Amino acid sequence: MGGEIWVVGEVDAAGALTKLSGEAATAARALGEAGGREVTGIVVAPEPDGAAASLAAFLPTVLAVRAPEMARRAAAAVVAARIVALAAAAQERPAYFVLSATPDGRDLAGMLSVLLEIGVIVNATGLTWDAAADGVPAGPRVEMQPFGGRVLTSSGFTGERGIILLRPNMVTAEPLAVPGSVEECTTGEVVDLPLVRVIERVVTESPGPSIEEARVIVAGGRGVGGPDGFAGLRELAGLLGGAVGASRAAVDAGWIDYATQIGQTGKTVKPAVYLAFGVSGAIQHKVGMQTAETIIAVDRDPDAPIGEFADLFVVADLAAVVPALAAALRARAG
Amino acid sequence: MRIVVLVKPVPDPGEERLGDDGRLDRSVSAVINGNDEYVLEAALKLVEAHGGEVTLLSMAPAGITDPIRKALAMGATRAVLVTDPALAGACSWSTTQVLAAALRTLEYDLVLAGADTSDGGGGVVAAGVATLLGLPYLSHARRIEPFDGGVRVERLSAAGHDVLEATLPAVVVGTQLLGEPRYPSLRGIMGARSKEIAVRTLAEIGLADRPVGGAHATTALLAARRPAPRGSGRVVRDPDPVAAASAIVDFLVERRAL
Amino acid sequence: MRRPGCGRCYDRRVVAAPALGRLTDDQRAIRDAVRTLARERVAPRAAEIDRSAEFPEDLRVLLAEQGILGLPFPERHGGLGADLLTVCLAIEALSAACATTGLILAVQELGALPLLLAGSEEQLGRFVPGLASGRDLAAFALTEADAGSDAAAIRTRAVRDGETYVISGAKRFISHGSVASLVTVFAVTDPEADRHRRISAFVVETASPGFSVSRLEHKMGIRGSPTAELAFDDVRVPAANLLGAEGDGFRLAMRTLDRSRPGIAAQAVGIAQGALDVAAAYAGQRRQFGKAIGEFQLVQGLLADMDARTEAARQLLYTACEEIERGAPDAGRWSALCKLVAGDAAMAVTTDAVQVLGGYGYLDDFPVERMMRDAKITQLYEGTQQIQRLVIARALLARKP
Ligand SMILES: Cc1cc2nc3c(=O)[nH]c(=O)nc-3n(C[C@H](O)[C@H](O)[C@H](O)COP(=O)(O)OP(=O)(O)OC[C@H]3O[C@@H](n4cnc5c(N)ncnc54)[C@H](O)[C@@H]3O)c2cc1C
Ligand SMILES: Cc1cc2nc3c(=O)[nH]c(=O)nc-3n(C[C@H](O)[C@H](O)[C@H](O)COP(=O)(O)OP(=O)(O)OC[C@H]3O[C@@H](n4cnc5c(N)ncnc54)[C@H](O)[C@@H]3O)c2cc1C
Repeated sequence: MGGEIWVVGEVDAAGALTKLSGEAATAARALGEAGGREVTGIVVAPEPDGAAASLAAFLPTVLAVRAPEMARRAAAAVVAARIVALAAAAQERPAYFVLSATPDGRDLAGMLSVLLEIGVIVNATGLTWDAAADGVPAGPRVEMQPFGGRVLTSSGFTGERGIILLRPNMVTAEPLAVPGSVEECTTGEVVDLPLVRVIERVVTESPGPSIEEARVIVAGGRGVGGPDGFAGLRELAGLLGGAVGASRAAVDAGWIDYATQIGQTGKTVKPAVYLAFGVSGAIQHKVGMQTAETIIAVDRDPDAPIGEFADLFVVADLAAVVPALAAALRARAG
Repeated sequence: MRIVVLVKPVPDPGEERLGDDGRLDRSVSAVINGNDEYVLEAALKLVEAHGGEVTLLSMAPAGITDPIRKALAMGATRAVLVTDPALAGACSWSTTQVLAAALRTLEYDLVLAGADTSDGGGGVVAAGVATLLGLPYLSHARRIEPFDGGVRVERLSAAGHDVLEATLPAVVVGTQLLGEPRYPSLRGIMGARSKEIAVRTLAEIGLADRPVGGAHATTALLAARRPAPRGSGRVVRDPDPVAAASAIVDFLVERRAL
Repeated sequence: MRRPGCGRCYDRRVVAAPALGRLTDDQRAIRDAVRTLARERVAPRAAEIDRSAEFPEDLRVLLAEQGILGLPFPERHGGLGADLLTVCLAIEALSAACATTGLILAVQELGALPLLLAGSEEQLGRFVPGLASGRDLAAFALTEADAGSDAAAIRTRAVRDGETYVISGAKRFISHGSVASLVTVFAVTDPEADRHRRISAFVVETASPGFSVSRLEHKMGIRGSPTAELAFDDVRVPAANLLGAEGDGFRLAMRTLDRSRPGIAAQAVGIAQGALDVAAAYAGQRRQFGKAIGEFQLVQGLLADMDARTEAARQLLYTACEEIERGAPDAGRWSALCKLVAGDAAMAVTTDAVQVLGGYGYLDDFPVERMMRDAKITQLYEGTQQIQRLVIARALLARKP
């Protein structure tokens, strides 16, 4: 048996475990079963108990590390230091980490990579365990879809260690039949990472599912015409149980928050259904959404590039279609 | 204020040429990674407001200087290009080691980097660089504000943003919200020709005997393939609004999304 | 804001690009930078500029900020000191997106050329920095109602009065006359003198009392470029604003046109290229009889001829620039040659582009009808095509066997 697989759970602003952490745990568990490795979950938080218990729904063992200083310090350095300490104290150092491909997960991965001298594979869309091949030892095989899914790649680690960042919605989180156990854990100081103080946490986020986790995304672009146009899209998203996304043009115009931007410099999403209104489908947008299972686009320009990769392309004025669609959905709902 | 901006030349998004094996042809037209342009813009604004200069630091194949010239034309003072045949195929761990080593040879108050790269780079390098250099690390910035001896950053969070502070020197990673990058002016373009691009080999940054580069990659690309093409879509032209709505509803039902 | 492409076929990448071989690194870098700006910032404005017929002040500011308006001016006075070919590359790149915008640079050069060619160091120091920074626009006022092709027949008078000249008369068809701060005005100082020695050139500040814009023309094309009729009602101009010596004006106007016509040729080449790009992209997409129309050889023939004409005009333009820049004795011939060929190419290519697009080309949904209207002016101003032929023929006949 080789080194363990560690899953680091992330907590949201309310202290709860993120949905993606459950997905990462599920993926790691499958990896562990295939490769014959133990899988341990770790939650580092000021109050880790609740999130650790949530993570234990997916993993047999979860370490809850209480880190009160996280209330005042930027998370990544605190979590990285704790994990390095845990790794130093462990009987055998962990072989693989499965982390969330989020800003926090990336920060943590970058730090752990140099602190533990291990490689990182980012933006995983799938994970399997495979036998040795091509000079790469048996271990995780990580599927990625770089360049907006124009190519599918499979990569591995050349040593028997590595960090994997898993993207949201790639794996369906599956709890264990019997939840695992949570162990409270304290750590010593092994590394001292420089201090980044948190002066203030400003909460502005409107409620509703985040676009990365939503099954249905109703996206609007420049064609929506203004902030009022997004009200119609919000209604549609509500009717479909989805979230509202946007193109950069709409974000730049100030009609909607950057948090909703999909694309190269926004979020990468893979919903079951992507409904685009007045989004032309520029390459920088496409790379963020083209792996959606079903793409439906409404655009009045028959030559809009989005027509080239939409499953259903409706050439029409969205101003008329949005209310009509809302009416039709309401009628169905009865 | 002396600012080093990490810039990565990447293939022009959408124009990437992928071989049949799915590997990237890096010889085609390179541009500066989009996210790096935002932090470069932020750096230029900071030196305009506070004085100082901007140094570009890039690890790239020797031939790829056009994007670096463009960044110089935007207003950076000079560039340092770390290039070495041994670096072909380098992984993110190696890149981190190289950039940190190069930074040790430079003087700076602030290191800026872009959130991630369009060629599949995962945005993990800057955190590693900060950690190797023992510098505070502030990421996902939508605003960067230096103050006496320190820097204040508004970091986007899932719920809004956090206001962070750290002492200088520090490493800050920025996002698109820092503001639209400027076009290089023609004066900038002409002036960029005479600006220095200092080329450094691994030996020159003190990494000659270190296990960095393609031969020591921590990760390996094992297979690549093109995805099955999306079946060509259905097109509904110029329906009346009700017909459009029912076409969409029917499609959602057909795809079992309703 | 950068906003590549707005989803229409004509905003996609340039289909054909000119040969690179003969350009220097600087020229190429400047052309590419202006082309990017043209694609991302100018092209999205072009249709609206045409529709509203308003001078695109926002784009003037952009050209100023980017240093593009500084190209033709010497470095010692704040310009970029670019050679003629570089200026033309910039006009070409802008005009491919919007001929009105390309003309902003062309007229800036035209209006300033008399000053650059004949101005004293004191005059350059006084006027060029404002022009080079793009803060001030220049205009060139030669044509009058009854003196078009026959420019020597102008009647506007300038009478010396102590340390000033008093200018009275009217100019017609003056590009940027209503937006310029400085107008180079050609006026008769000695009515008795020989036809070509009657005229002198002055820099007139448009803020001067007595200067006014009496009307703006409604035009077929380059609709965003204001074409003004100017009235000079005893405008007092300091004698220090006289360019060169009294009586030098006509020759100075001709020397100016020798150097400025390539700018119009560049505008023409740009318009032609813009139309060709749209037509080629369209031909790849529009399907009739079950195939893309670009697969029909008759359409291919149109496209090939358009490309050939455009490229031939471009190469002649670049050669003309090099010849004029090196001080060729037959500079006038070169400048007439390139404007003649490029203007005709632009007219033919844009007309064919409309043909390739069929009925859609005739609608303002696509830019080719605008380009066709814009192209026409390149056969008219800075000397009609007939006048270019006269210039060329005169040069030929003057050659010693
Ligand atoms: C470095 C960089 C990074 C970028 N990152 C991103 C990114 O992350 N995400 C992103 O989205 N973009 C990004 N972009 C910008 C991208 O290139 C496009 O400019 C942008 O996606 C266009 O947004 P849009 O589709 O809303 O607007 P447009 O391209 O203007 O399209 C609007 C569409 O709406 C249609 N329309 C208009 N009115 C109506 C109507 N009444 N009914 C129906 N249809 C209508 C039009 O026909 C058109 O197709 C980036 C660009 C750069 C340079
Ligand atoms: C939009 C626009 C912008 C302009 N901008 C400027 C400007 O900024 N500054 C400026 O000074 N002027 C400007 N002009 C004026 C322009 O240069 C003149 O219109 C042009 O020189 C022709 O003069 P004309 O219109 O009087 O035509 P005419 O000279 O009356 O010509 C009419 C016709 O007769 C032909 N013709 C005339 N003489 C001869 C000849 N000897 N041999 C053979 N054929 C001949 C011409 O080729 C033409 O076909 C502008 C004009 C326009 C329309």
